[in-house]
Amino acid sequence: MTQIITPKILKGTRDFLPKDMAKRQYVMEKIRSTFIRFGYDTIETPVIEYAETLLGKYGDEGSKLVYQFKDNGGRQIALRYDQTVPFARLVAANYQALPMPFKRYQISRVWRADRPAKGRYREFYQCDIDIIGTESLLADAEIAKVIFSVFKTLGFTDFTIKFNSRRLMNRILESVGVPASRTADVIRLIDKLDKIGKKSVARELECILSKEIVQKLLKIITASGANREKIASLKKEDSQEIREFFKLCLDFGISEKNLLFDLSLARGLDYYTGVSYEVVLNDVAIGSVAGGGRYGDLCGLFCEKKFSGAGVAFGFDRIVFAMEELGLLSEIPLSSQVLVTYFDESVLPNSLAIFAELQEFGFNAEIYPEAISLSKQFKYADKKEIPFVVICGSDEIQKEAVTIKSMKTGKQKTVPRNQLTEYLKGLSF
Amino acid sequence: MRIAIQNKGRLSELSIAFLRSSGLSFQPNGRSLITRCDNEDVEILYLRSADIPEYVRRGVADFGIVGRNVLEEKEIDLPILRSLDFGQCRLVIAVPQKSSIQSIQDLEGERIATSYPNTLSCYLKKQGVSASIIPLRGSVEAAPALDLADAICDLVQTGKTLKDNGLTPLVTVLESEAVLITNLHRIKTEPLLRCMRVSGCGADCGFTPSSNYYFNL
Repeated sequence: MTQIITPKILKGTRDFLPKDMAKRQYVMEKIRSTFIRFGYDTIETPVIEYAETLLGKYGDEGSKLVYQFKDNGGRQIALRYDQTVPFARLVAANYQALPMPFKRYQISRVWRADRPAKGRYREFYQCDIDIIGTESLLADAEIAKVIFSVFKTLGFTDFTIKFNSRRLMNRILESVGVPASRTADVIRLIDKLDKIGKKSVARELECILSKEIVQKLLKIITASGANREKIASLKKEDSQEIREFFKLCLDFGISEKNLLFDLSLARGLDYYTGVSYEVVLNDVAIGSVAGGGRYGDLCGLFCEKKFSGAGVAFGFDRIVFAMEELGLLSEIPLSSQVLVTYFDESVLPNSLAIFAELQEFGFNAEIYPEAISLSKQFKYADKKEIPFVVICGSDEIQKEAVTIKSMKTGKQKTVPRNQLTEYLKGLSF
Repeated sequence: MRIAIQNKGRLSELSIAFLRSSGLSFQPNGRSLITRCDNEDVEILYLRSADIPEYVRRGVADFGIVGRNVLEEKEIDLPILRSLDFGQCRLVIAVPQKSSIQSIQDLEGERIATSYPNTLSCYLKKQGVSASIIPLRGSVEAAPALDLADAICDLVQTGKTLKDNGLTPLVTVLESEAVLITNLHRIKTEPLLRCMRVSGCGADCGFTPSSNYYFNL
């Protein structure tokens, strides 16, 4: 007897069955089509890279999570960990051939040797866009508009694009008297505001700053009010960037109710140099579903030329999860639209002709490969969620007719044979 | 200022009469499709009914008089200034007198011929019924007798045409009448709209009508 291998998969990885895949592909296609509508083209980079290309780019913690191995030739290899570093490498090697500014989208899998948890996988998709080779704020605002369009297109209504600026944060920290050497620590603590609250953050800040500075700082960054009021309350020379960015967003047609100027937004500020954004869904508690911002020098590690850019990454798995929660994925059809049946060899040529015609007219059709009982063929259609079954036995052939069964209602309708495709088309008008 | 009305058909004479009663004076159109008014700086455009919403949307015409049924079918979202008191008719689903279709639910899976596929599709979706829509340009009443359809969806004024073709109404999809439409073309029509709402408006609105206001809004 042959040894049976347990059909298991690695921790943190997932199999997807057709129903899940249909939903995932639907979401991915919506995201992709939105990127394309803004004129983004795509690129592809290898799944495997030289380890040295990826290592040391993600901080100490990040580097530990890069999957590494020696290949058959003894080379040190790493698996793609994100899409940004390989993109930077590609730009450094190819910028002369690329239009500048360069806009690209990328949707592909990445791998991280992270501890798997709810919503955290070792293999998952990233959906990124970036505009590089321009410092214009219009690019930052365009990214915000793409974010807005993606969530609108997916059917979300109650989402908030929070935005802030590293440049502004630096100014504020400086103006209240935070020493430059403490900037990074302070930003890290500000980032905890959402999680541990104002009091706890104040207590921790007071370990490194004077009470007076902490109070001044927290007063500024936790100010409430409408976007305009918050911006107006800042010093003019500090707020120019954020004011212009906000105006461009509105001119781009982003609804103001989806924008929130949040001075306490600190995530990624150690990396971003200008405007940064983060998206949260107000009706699904799942954390941020997209994040990005402006970085001053994308390819610095790979070439001498400087490329400033702005970009955003969408959390694909979280978005799919949230859409499920909100019932936005309840009616995603599987591929097959029509099943053509046959139940004896004599009618097979006729069934095949019907099948060919349906396909030619654009229907996703299939023919059941065995002449088994009609009820079993119906069962197959049911399980595969095929909405229509075409029945054409010798009776129908003689009358030059054809019967269509709707699997949803169970109702059968007989129409003249040559009205079949128009009949089906008319149902989906 | 331009007003688009139907060239030939149900609403044509009624629209002309309405404009005349609103104080516009103009010659009968004859062959010309554009007529200038004698007493106002207004042009009348004589167009196909189905094209009127497009002309208005694109700002080529500032106003239009069109059946509500046309507006619904074109799925063009234009502001309706008011309903006019003429051109009443109904869009109905009708079936052959001896049909087994007795209710909206019975339409499930059946074939319905119509010149109003969008309006019908929208209606059926709201009713939760899935039927096969057969789009035709006209003469839909003949479709059931020819086994092209099991029901029809068409405009009815008196119901005589239905009767003559052995059909009986099942349900009303839309009550229609002539409506006065305009567009959101800001610069051009916002001042106009203000003028039309307020009699004797000042010069600051950018347009001074010589008569009090048109259309008795």
